[in-house]
Amino acid sequence: MLRHMNKGTVIYLLMFLLLTLLPLVVTGRSMQFILIQIFVFGIFAMSYDLLLGYTGIISFGHVMFFGIGAYSTAIMFDRFEPTVGYLVLAVIVGVVLAGIVSFIAGILTLRLKSHYYAMLTLALAGLFLVAAEKWTSFTGGNDGFTFGLPDILRDSNMIYLLCLISLALLFFGLRRLTASPFGKVLMAIRENEQRVESLGYHVLHYKVVASVVSGVVAAYAGVLYIISLRFVDTSVFATDFTIDVLLMTIIGGVGTLIGPLIGAGLVEFAHHWLSGLADVHWIFERWIILYGTVYILVVIFFPLGIVGTIRAKLTRHPLRKRNDLKGVGS
Amino acid sequence: MDLLFVLLINGLATGMLIFLLAAGLTLIFGLMDVLNFAHGGLFIWGAYSGVWMYHVTNSFTVGIAAAIVTGLVIGLVTEKVIIRPVYGNHIQQILITLGFMLVLQELIKVVFGPSQKAVAPPAFLEGSFMVGDIVLIKYRLFIILIGLVVFFVFAYIFKQTRIGLIVRAGVMNKEMVQSLGINIKLVFMVVFMVGAALAALSGILHAPYSGVIYAEMGLEFSILAFIVVIIGGMGSFKGSLVAALLVGCMQAFMAYYVPSLSLATNMLLMVIVLVFRPQGLFPVKG
Repeated sequence: MLRHMNKGTVIYLLMFLLLTLLPLVVTGRSMQFILIQIFVFGIFAMSYDLLLGYTGIISFGHVMFFGIGAYSTAIMFDRFEPTVGYLVLAVIVGVVLAGIVSFIAGILTLRLKSHYYAMLTLALAGLFLVAAEKWTSFTGGNDGFTFGLPDILRDSNMIYLLCLISLALLFFGLRRLTASPFGKVLMAIRENEQRVESLGYHVLHYKVVASVVSGVVAAYAGVLYIISLRFVDTSVFATDFTIDVLLMTIIGGVGTLIGPLIGAGLVEFAHHWLSGLADVHWIFERWIILYGTVYILVVIFFPLGIVGTIRAKLTRHPLRKRNDLKGVGS
Repeated sequence: MDLLFVLLINGLATGMLIFLLAAGLTLIFGLMDVLNFAHGGLFIWGAYSGVWMYHVTNSFTVGIAAAIVTGLVIGLVTEKVIIRPVYGNHIQQILITLGFMLVLQELIKVVFGPSQKAVAPPAFLEGSFMVGDIVLIKYRLFIILIGLVVFFVFAYIFKQTRIGLIVRAGVMNKEMVQSLGINIKLVFMVVFMVGAALAALSGILHAPYSGVIYAEMGLEFSILAFIVVIIGGMGSFKGSLVAALLVGCMQAFMAYYVPSLSLATNMLLMVIVLVFRPQGLFPVKG
């Protein structure tokens, strides 16, 4: 079987296998928790990369899909029983809801300039946040609520494995998707939308499908996130998460899939260390300034991100150079 | 009847504040094709710096002047440092202005402290008039007055002066304006600074109106401004006034009758406009 795979796939597979063995070595609770967070946000960031990196769509409300997944799971476990059956049901409900919302947002604004999608998603996410705060009988409001987990997920090693396997499956799935003819059309739309349109492709269809797939994957990340926390509150709809995921994607490298995973690792570790540094100097409490500054510098000077920059250095293919955020039209 | 009138005044005052924020946003978009997500940052900087001066000097007029100067200065820096390097690239612009928004918002907390600040209206604007049974709160009338003055001054500048002509022509076709020997970059910079100053003015006027200022209100308020820009038509000055008053009144009436739905109705308004008239109510012909 191995013969039919290319080198990249084998390397990635080996990396994921190594990660499954990690709990045998790393026993610290907080370290394992950070790794789980990296996997969860890695999935979230990959879903974002499909939009931003592959299709050239900016969403400022991606967190709403994440939140939809999170709340549907939490409410399902709270109202009914925390069993695997209800978990599956919660995933289905979350994924379908997220799909519907992203479909509507996409149909409404993706035929217009990219600004519209960014604004609409920002406003929609704001709406979801307000709804979660106000609809207290359903969401618990700002205080949130805790809930039980299915027996099989009581062990944190199982959550670790669940997140890791999900990450690996989604990574290979999305990699396959972006390498398919469909993915090529998405990239073509990113590079030159008018040209693709004039070649006879229905651009809006492709964009909407990309936004739906991305929303669905983000919702699944929300499900995993809430399982790892066993607690939900309105913060799952906060703009901070959108910004985190934006940063992960941009720093790691847009349009690479593996870049956002690396970005997720960097940002999560940075979170961990910087919040620890708050005791040293108060400026570290305002670490968002540092984030924002890094982010602005990356957008101006390294629009390719870490992975993109390395790839551009390695392959001096003339077309590779254009494979970045530049040249993206309206 | 009295209640309706009070709510209307409330709505118009809120609408004028949104208009001041949206006017800059829509002008910058129309002329430079830049959607400035950092606009809410200019709003809070106007509010905080203005309130600081107001409390130090005890004069609201000085506070307003300080806010406008802050807006001009930050606008200049934003245009030169943040927008110019990514000029002509929409995706990078959207990303970078959002990043700058975060930096502005967090810098507020560093400079002025993270807690909320209470602000009272100045003495000469405190209290209310009575017309029959209707209570007219002075400060709200003041906001409406300022909004109208700004609108008419700008309408005059656009229609009657040479710089207004250049800006209007630039919104329609900037390449043509440039080829006629006009330094369009300078025009961009001036428009950006003026738009930023309007946002800052909106911020300082909003401070005594809501009674309290905090760093996150910039992003919250700018969402309303984005809705207004979409409804009014991107690049349309008149459209932003009409849409802002509409959104302001919707906000005021819904906040009284069904408070939990006030944002939702404005979103619904935007969605309806997007479906049936995606170019906005007053599209800019070009």
